[in-house]
Amino acid sequence: MLVLRRRAGESLLIGSDIEIELLELTPHGAKIGIRAPRETIVLRKELKITQEQNALAARGLASEVLEKFSRNRLKNVSPGR
Amino acid sequence: MLLVDTKYFGTMTCEEESAFDFPLGLPGFEDETRFVFIEIAEHAPLVFLQSLNNSSLCFLALPVPVIDPHYDLSLSAEDCAALELPAGCDPKPEGALVLALVSLHDGFSATANLMAPVVVNVRRRRALQSIRVDRVYSHQHPVPAAQYSEGVC
Repeated sequence: MLVLRRRAGESLLIGSDIEIELLELTPHGAKIGIRAPRETIVLRKELKITQEQNALAARGLASEVLEKFSRNRLKNVSPGR
Repeated sequence: MLLVDTKYFGTMTCEEESAFDFPLGLPGFEDETRFVFIEIAEHAPLVFLQSLNNSSLCFLALPVPVIDPHYDLSLSAEDCAALELPAGCDPKPEGALVLALVSLHDGFSATANLMAPVVVNVRRRRALQSIRVDRVYSHQHPVPAAQYSEGVC
């Protein structure tokens, strides 16, 4: 990872059309401004991780496990709360 | 009573009070705003989060205390507001339920997402997936087989 030291108000450029500006530094975090083309997707990393993990979780059970579930399948199940 | 087409259990009848609103959906599943929570004794402590819009979408979840009894829930003011919980509240006495979505890898090894738990305001029937910004908990926390496969085999 490339590491740069920047002060508030200073910027850096990524490629020819993305600018990242360090707007403000506080003990609670840094405020960052991003100037990028509209089609560039900017996401907080934890959101991206969560989207990917949810996609994985939604795949659900593998067939052999599902089979065991099916074997145990109850008729006319009324779920408890 | 609700008639629900489910991914794993065919058509089920569920009590209205088993249905929860996710006003924001879940990240990656923003259109899925209503789920029914299915608990079946044979599969306890697993909870099935079945989408009411989409019968082929059903998440598996475990109550977070089953995975980590000492889990330290951290909710932002925005999340508290979306859940209609008082800001800065302690969610436990407020009737909140905290679930971790489970992923199965290669059929049998399971992980739970403790980085982004599903938090439910049981009284208001509202829920959301709360994403932590700290790095205290993993999005792929290993779940020992005994915690989810009880009754499956």
